[in-house]
Parts: sequence; structure tokens; C-alpha cells
Amino acid sequence: MSDLASLQQQFMALLQGQNNDLANHIASHGQLATSQRLAIYQNAYKLRLRAAIEQDHAQLGIYLGDELFDKMVAEYLVQYPSNYTSLRFFADDLPHYLRNNAPFSEHPILADIAQFERLLLTAFDAQEHPLLTVDELESLTVEQWSVLQLPLHPSVQLVQFNSRAVESWQALKDKQLPPQPYCDNTRYWVVARDCERRTQFINVDLLEYRLLTLLRQQVNFVQLCQSCITDIPSEEITGFLISLINQWLERGWLVSATK
Amino acid sequence: MQTQFLGFGLGLRAPHFEQIIADKPAVDWFEIISENYFVAGGKPWHYLNKIRADYPVVMHGVSMSIGSTGPLNLDYLQALKNTIARVEPQWVSDHLCFSQVGNINSHDLLPMPYTDEALEHLASRIHQVQEFLGREMIFENVSSYLTYKDSQMSEWDFLAALHNKTGCRFLMDINNVYVSARNHQFDAMTYLNAIPTKAIAQIHLAGHQDFGSHIIDTHDEDVPPAVWELYANYAKQLGPVSTMIERDDNIGSLQDLMTELERARQLVAPIWQLEENNE
Repeated sequence: MSDLASLQQQFMALLQGQNNDLANHIASHGQLATSQRLAIYQNAYKLRLRAAIEQDHAQLGIYLGDELFDKMVAEYLVQYPSNYTSLRFFADDLPHYLRNNAPFSEHPILADIAQFERLLLTAFDAQEHPLLTVDELESLTVEQWSVLQLPLHPSVQLVQFNSRAVESWQALKDKQLPPQPYCDNTRYWVVARDCERRTQFINVDLLEYRLLTLLRQQVNFVQLCQSCITDIPSEEITGFLISLINQWLERGWLVSATK
Repeated sequence: MQTQFLGFGLGLRAPHFEQIIADKPAVDWFEIISENYFVAGGKPWHYLNKIRADYPVVMHGVSMSIGSTGPLNLDYLQALKNTIARVEPQWVSDHLCFSQVGNINSHDLLPMPYTDEALEHLASRIHQVQEFLGREMIFENVSSYLTYKDSQMSEWDFLAALHNKTGCRFLMDINNVYVSARNHQFDAMTYLNAIPTKAIAQIHLAGHQDFGSHIIDTHDEDVPPAVWELYANYAKQLGPVSTMIERDDNIGSLQDLMTELERARQLVAPIWQLEENNE
């Protein structure tokens, strides 16, 4: 290994808290001791990564409190050192960490809040795509309707929680006390950008969630209708779906397949 | 490569997006952080596309890790190349440092030793990166809090040698020179005078935190008097060089940053014989 490669490896090891020989390579001059010079880099490494987590997971931080947040950050830095060139993605594994490491794993709502906050980021900077318009739908023939697919906008994220993660997130953002963490019914959510590029989250029922999931799987309109047979009288299915599609158009959830 | 004198610019920061679009302030150009636009779309790109319709834009990266001894990160370079194609910047810069070792990124600008080995390595990597991107890059001097016993030359001799070897040009961060000069007890003007003036493509001005025994390069304060003085003295050695106020934290109002920018303009306009407002 070259001298340069060895020095760089020692530097990175030092940042990660491993003792090594780097101090012997540092020149002595001025008022600062070598240990102080190295500590500046060690502290900056931790502070920068902590700040990235704090920025992306502000409400999780409040929910946890300082002591647990510090513990989470310290352990996450060790288990998931950044493999990314952008800090935007550094905390992508935080929900997985929280789901699999005690004491956080004993409280599933923590991973849920973290996952929700990551989905907000995903929706925020997802790819642009021209939205589907009412005019486009109205110009379709009956034959075209039967094979019509309705692609979701890249910002649309579907998620279900068995906790009140989203309600707790909102309460903390509003500086209110969060509700009881768990509920009997699964909550279904859509996180997406609206037509003004504002990130929104909307609670939907199981049927709408299932239909949106089918859209993601690229089913066509006929298959979408068939999926409703057990839920809705057959003569009402088309009207029901048209009404839903109009709502999705207004929310900016559907994109044009032709543009 | 020629880099046009663009005048006096600001780092483009999210809190100012809407005001810039609405008010079209008298800023000559903006510098973006390249990696902030490695995302697919949404508000970052929406605002940038509007702003770059009205202003020249340059790109400034923080994660190329040109000095790393590991293989070049081709995923990163491809993302950069894609972003360059979308932004069409006047020029693209990054830092003379290493950030990544193996697969792990420190997200810091770690200093290189100033050795013959590092010089050869950087020269080779600059060539490879420029080949991949199909364009020349500009490289910034970093501030540092340590130097290595193994160094065989000063930082300024290292930069001059790198320029002689590769022809690469520099984004000279005056604050970084000042910070390192204090931390390592060298004369800042000796540093600046050693770099061929033709190698200077852009200038950064920024603030720092002074702890007496050392300075931390925080970019969260106004440009301090000592850095203004260094800039004014250095300007006498140079022809007009595009100059920018860089603020990364404690980002104040756009008006406050423009006041600093105007100070830069007033300071060097007589030296560089610029007409009012760079027109």
C-alpha cells in the first residue's frame, strides 16, 4: 500500500473512532497540540452527520428526546457509515436501524415516524413528469379506456402504518402532545407532491390504497374495475372509479402516459 | 480554458430561492452546490431552472474526492456529468482534498499531504476526471487544521506545481488561505503570491470562527476584516476574477449577503478598473 493510501485509511479510521498511528504523521507547530488538531476533524465528522439526521428527522428527534436521539445517532454512525456522496441519502437506513435495534425496536412507532419523514423527502425531490389532464381522458375511445393504464406521479408514495406515526408527527410539528402511539386499525397514507409542488400526506381508506397499489403494478382500467367487484355493486363501479380518478387528477397523482 | 469574468456572485441557497425569482436582485451570477441537484426533480430543480433563465450559474461540488487513492467513483462522476448537462454551467469546481476512503464518505474536505506521490496522484486523477466529464475542472484550496510530517513542500508550492503539471486552474478561497495561515503559522500573502495569477479562475470570500489559538472555517459569519484586507491586497496582483460570497450556515437575509457582495465590488472595482455595477 502506498504512503498516501495508508495515510488516508488511517485518517478515516480515526474519524470512526479507531485508535491508530495517524498522530505520528502530524506536524507539530503553533499553539494547538496534535490531539486537538485531530479532535477538530473527529468532532466535525460527528457533528456534520448528526446535523444531517437532525435536519431530515426533526420530529423524530423531538419524539425521542435528546438522550435517546444522541444514542441513536452514535450507533447509526457506527453501523451505517455514509456510503453516499450526498448527505441527502445518509439517513436512508434509519428506519431499518430503528426497526432492528433495541431499545428502539421495542417501539415500532419510531421506525414508522422515521420512514414517514424519509417518504416526505422522497416526494419532495422526486422526478418531474407532465400530469395527466381531464382533456386527455375525455379524448379516449371506449377501446382505449379498456386498456388504459394510469401511471402514478413519481412523487406518490404509498405507506401503511399500524401506529399513529403520521398523527404524532403532525402533533409534534404543531408543538402539541402526540396521541397514543398505537391503534387498532391499520392507517393507509399517500405522500405526494401536489400541483404546486407542495409535499402533502393524505389518509385514504383500504380500497383506495389497494387501487393505488394496483396502479403502481400497471394494471389497466378493466382490471381496476374487476378488483372492485367484491366491494362495490357492479353497476356503480365505473362511476366510483371515475370519481376517484378525478380526485387523483386534482391532487396531481396521475401522469400522462403519452408525454 | 478561459473563464469569463462574471462579476460578483453569491452561493445559491434555498431560503433565497423565491426572493431571487420575484425580485431579480442585482447579483451577477450564482454558484450552486452540485450534489444538491443530484435529485431527480421537485422544488430544487424547479427553482434552479427559473433562476438560471435569468442568471449565469456555476457548479461547485463537495464530494468528488479527487485526492482519494481508491478507484474513481464513476457513479458520482456520471451523476455530475448528468447534472452538468442539465444546468449548463459556466464552469464546474470541486476541492483539492480527499473525502472518501473505500466505500465510506467522511463528508469532510480532508487535507492532502504535499508530497511528490500526492502530486503525481492528483495530476493523474485530474486528467481522468476531465476526460470523463469532457471538460476542464477548477479546484479549490481547502482550509486545514493539521499538516503532515511527510509533506515535502509547502501547500502553495504544491498548488503551483500542480498547475505547472496539469494546467489546472484554481478557485482561490481567500478565507481558507487565511484560516490555514493562522492555523499553521505561515504568511498568507506568501501563499497567494506563489500561485501564478493566470491559474486563478474564481475567488471565494467567507467567514469563520476565531478561537484565538486556532480558526475553524465555518462559513457562518460575515467576511471578517482580515479576509477583506487579504482580498484587497491580493486583487492588486490579479486582473478581474469572478468573486463570490460563500455562506453555508447561519444563512441570513439576501439583502445582508448583497451588502457584503457590494463591499467586495467597491473594494476591487478601482483596482480592476471596473465600471460601475460591472456594466
